[in-house]
Amino acid sequence: MMGSHSNRPGTSTLGPDWLSVALALGGVLLLLYALPMVALFLSVPPGDFLARIDDPIVVSSATTSLLSASISTLLATVFGLPLAYWLARTDTPLTTVVLAIVVLPLVLPPTVGGIVLLTVFGPGSLLGDTAIAAGFPLTRSLAGVILAQTFVASPFVVVTAKAAFESVDETLEYASRSLGKGRWTTARRVTLPVAGPGILAGVTLAFARAIGEFGATMMLAYYPRTMPVQIWVAFLELGLENAYPVAMLLALIAAGALVVLHTVAANPWT
Amino acid sequence: MTLELTGVRTAYEQFDFGPVDLTVENEVLAVLGPSGSGKTTLLSLIAGIATPTAGSIRLDGRALDGRRIEDRNVGMVFQDGALFPHMTARENIAYAASGADRVATLANRLEVTDVLDRTPETLSGGERQRVALARTLATDPALLLLDEPLSSLDTPIRNRLRDELHDLFESLDIPVLYVTHDQRTATALGDRIAIVHDGAVEQVGSPSQIHTRPSSRFVAQFTGNENCFEATVVDRTEDGAILQIGDIQFRTTTPDLPASQVTACIHPSRIGLDAPDAPVDGDVTAFPGTVTRWLHQGSEYRLRVELDRAPLTLTVNVLPTTFERLSLENGSTVQVTVPDESIHPIPDRA
Repeated sequence: MMGSHSNRPGTSTLGPDWLSVALALGGVLLLLYALPMVALFLSVPPGDFLARIDDPIVVSSATTSLLSASISTLLATVFGLPLAYWLARTDTPLTTVVLAIVVLPLVLPPTVGGIVLLTVFGPGSLLGDTAIAAGFPLTRSLAGVILAQTFVASPFVVVTAKAAFESVDETLEYASRSLGKGRWTTARRVTLPVAGPGILAGVTLAFARAIGEFGATMMLAYYPRTMPVQIWVAFLELGLENAYPVAMLLALIAAGALVVLHTVAANPWT
Repeated sequence: MTLELTGVRTAYEQFDFGPVDLTVENEVLAVLGPSGSGKTTLLSLIAGIATPTAGSIRLDGRALDGRRIEDRNVGMVFQDGALFPHMTARENIAYAASGADRVATLANRLEVTDVLDRTPETLSGGERQRVALARTLATDPALLLLDEPLSSLDTPIRNRLRDELHDLFESLDIPVLYVTHDQRTATALGDRIAIVHDGAVEQVGSPSQIHTRPSSRFVAQFTGNENCFEATVVDRTEDGAILQIGDIQFRTTTPDLPASQVTACIHPSRIGLDAPDAPVDGDVTAFPGTVTRWLHQGSEYRLRVELDRAPLTLTVNVLPTTFERLSLENGSTVQVTVPDESIHPIPDRA
């Protein structure tokens, strides 16, 4: 076949030397990623880590983080999937506008996100004062934490699920409907399952982002303390070493999310 | 059941479809045309996937216009089967069928019982289409649409499945529209053939009408007829006309030709070849000619024959038995006989 050798650029002409150079250059970055993680886990003996893990402050912040991140992820999924489906199946000027709004929290610095949220939900705002009067404050509360996390993390669900829905061949939906099944049944039994691994990836990413959220949470809800806020407080008040146990716990949870991405979900980056 | 399309039109960015008028009874209508001609658009309009801008589609007198895809009771088999990838073959059929008995019956009918527990990605192309057909038939459709279901299959499997489809369609007793770009498939399966070209139905007729009495030069050429020539009507007789192509005159049995300029088409399979000195009888025109090229096409030979008395080259299909009896090769001298009935004049369009 003519020209078939050009299907594998680089393997014969540039050879493995170039690959070694690429790896050596990339290796610098790799060290930057891996070394601090190794150092973190070497800095505290496992015994010390286990001894301090049941410190009430650590337990309280971990509980707050896990609970709020779970609720945020749930909210992001319930409200994000329909939006993602709509984005995937419409192509109008409005679609582009809506997508731009969805992506906004991703590019906004989290602290700015916090300020933006404060102007709508904070004390002094109509919504914030109404909520306080009703005994359900939207700042300095679990609701505030969830609000901040949902704001920052939900775009991951929408953007990733949109791509997952788009990868589902529309012919499958037409086939299902030509078999007498309505749009809802088709979405539930064909589109969702086929897009499932991609959606799960988005949900996992959103959870990882929510549990690590710091900037917007700081602005909106300093209390109850989530793990990132607790790390910050411990570092400021008691020094670096006191921030280690919670940081390690957070790192472990993040690693767990990575495992989920690689096993049950379709990792969008592989 | 009767499917009726009246003045159906639609339009995309650069493509106008219609107006199309078409009636399909309990028969197989093969929809034949080149890619981009609007064949799939026609099916999409009937299935409800595309929306017409004008006209009406009725199935057994009941208007389909405005009805959703799922409310039409129109079965559709897609090009690659469109099986749900997360379900086994059995689950795909059961998605549309009510009850395990029904799945078993359909699987047996389409001969896919052995592969029911496999996922679509592990099925061969032919098995996929069988499962897709079983799934579609599970809904007892009032009308069956198929969009090039055999086009991605290897020849032996395609031929076998085509034969089976022929029998299956016959047993269904509903209107079947079968879209294909392959005139052999259209001829083999269609009770009638509709030729689609540039978003319009150019001709509807039996396979033999389409082949020997094409309504336009496009139909002739798309169905494999290369023998189309500009001709002048030099005389009209009671039962036909005399046509002049170059220096040669042919008789045709087509009466009442409206124009003096026509395109004369002669189907390559309707031209006779014989030894140069063979006796000529019947209503034919005979000329001496020379074979300039031949191509073995499996079931027949396709020859190019130059006429000695005129600068005219004919494409002629002959059976292998004829080819061997006359010991044909390049340069062979032959007698070309064109029956009067084989000359099909198409009046030129203004």
